[in-house]
Amino acid sequence: MELASTTAYKKGIPNLRITYTPHPITDRPADVCRKFLEGNSPHSGKPLVDEIIEAITRPLSTEDKKTGFIMREARPRFLPPDTADNLQQLFIDSNFTDGGPVILPTEKKVKEMLEATSHDPDEVVGTMRPSPPHEAWEYTVEMVAVNAVMAGAKPEYFPVILAMASTGTSSLFSSTSSFARMAMVNGPVAKEIGMNSGIGALGPFNQANTTIGRAWTFISKNLGGSGKPGETYLGSQGNALSHNNLCFAEAEDAMPKGWIPFHVQKGFKPNDSVVSIFSGWSLNNIAWYSDLTYQEVIKNWLSHFFSYGIRQATLFIDPVTAEYLYNQGYDSKEKLASWIAANSTTPAWLYWQRRAKQKEMGEQGVEPYASYLKLGEGAEIPESRYLRQTPGQRSKDPASAPTAGRPFSKDILEAENSIEIVVVGGGTNTYFSGGDFSHLSSANVDKWR
Amino acid sequence: MRRHVALSLLAVLLLTIQISVSQTAETQDPKITVMNPRGIQPPIRLIPMPERSSLEGKTVYIVDTKYANTKPFVNELHKILQERYPKTNWVLRDKRGMYMTDDPDLWAEIKEKAVAMVMPIGH
Repeated sequence: MELASTTAYKKGIPNLRITYTPHPITDRPADVCRKFLEGNSPHSGKPLVDEIIEAITRPLSTEDKKTGFIMREARPRFLPPDTADNLQQLFIDSNFTDGGPVILPTEKKVKEMLEATSHDPDEVVGTMRPSPPHEAWEYTVEMVAVNAVMAGAKPEYFPVILAMASTGTSSLFSSTSSFARMAMVNGPVAKEIGMNSGIGALGPFNQANTTIGRAWTFISKNLGGSGKPGETYLGSQGNALSHNNLCFAEAEDAMPKGWIPFHVQKGFKPNDSVVSIFSGWSLNNIAWYSDLTYQEVIKNWLSHFFSYGIRQATLFIDPVTAEYLYNQGYDSKEKLASWIAANSTTPAWLYWQRRAKQKEMGEQGVEPYASYLKLGEGAEIPESRYLRQTPGQRSKDPASAPTAGRPFSKDILEAENSIEIVVVGGGTNTYFSGGDFSHLSSANVDKWR
Repeated sequence: MRRHVALSLLAVLLLTIQISVSQTAETQDPKITVMNPRGIQPPIRLIPMPERSSLEGKTVYIVDTKYANTKPFVNELHKILQERYPKTNWVLRDKRGMYMTDDPDLWAEIKEKAVAMVMPIGH
């Protein structure tokens, strides 16, 4: 209810007429929906259909007819003076933090942070919103510095944090599905500021990894208007990965010959310092000792991996596993990603879930769906989820589906492949982890020095 | 006995001093000034609602935002409104794209042809 009324307010219709149905309405059969509609609003207790009719016929009030602007409360540069303890509690109570105490952003500390960039404190860095329907907030270099101080970041981390803020991406994307976001740093800056790309890189063991990730949370909440549960954050269960937003550096020095750093894959120069932003939900952590090759293990895992995001993946390959894969003939990340995409399959139950039309075509004898149906419910359909094919392409030519094992051109495999590969870890064993993360954007850190 | 009373008085005195010191420390805890961590919220442009009228003989759009597997609800909403208010023309339309995608063409069409819109939003 709070979400509906605050969204209407921010959209400029503070008196929008709203009624509420029982929740949720997803996956409810028609008879249940009918009962919901014939019943009462769980909010007002009044008949739901009557409320809808009343909402669209009740004459307008003077308030409803108002035009002009609602001006927001003034934003003072400083907060009223108080003791450190009281300010810590104020910050927590105001949802300025992640629930924990912070380094209080005194003017002195913020000034020290600002000395790490050549940019003017009043320069606008960007805008950010919790998700597309929400309003966007604007923020300056100084405002980012305030949040960087709060997170415990050292001034030398500040250009990375500014670059991250410049992407306008909230780490707390508002969706009931509880997104997670990830920030990976490449280039010379990672070493300069002592980021961890080795043992425990994804864990709580390094000041730069921890505080840069934490700063992103504060920026998202305080500068991007995100992270108020029930209003600007709707993740039903939340996401444990949001605590530091998977912030780490890629292990560039530990890559096999021919494997290039992620930022170079995305068009940056090797000496550019870059922060890359990813979006997803979940991770698996795997070591599998068997007579299968590691590329087979990864391919089989991706064929059966199931989460909210089913059409993209990011693999986190430990340097030891990367070396193994190189020795198997994968002399580039792209070659490995292409092989996996071309050879992975999709479980039949998952395949048919979102393809009612294709199922119907298969039942009418249209290939390849007719053959797929004959494989049965427990089969693996020889189509990869990791080669993008638009619905338009598929409806024009169903046979163009990316069938496993079929030879594809290198161009198609690289252009339509939704698998990203990064190298990280300490080389303690043949591990890899991975999940449903996709690359959103990359920002140059050097611009913010 | 006298020694016992003296010790008790000393204990009370020490306790009082301790409380007094801690209270002083609390009241003397310095106040500091910190910077505001919040960004700049945009002003909100008010959108006046259209005038209301009787629904008889008028058109009202029901817009489906197409959140996954909510079609049965939208269809039932359409049916029940048609059944109860048959003199109103209830038009059921899908919004373009995913549920977050804007559809200015549809909004323009509704402004031109309808007196109101009912849009189920949520999951």
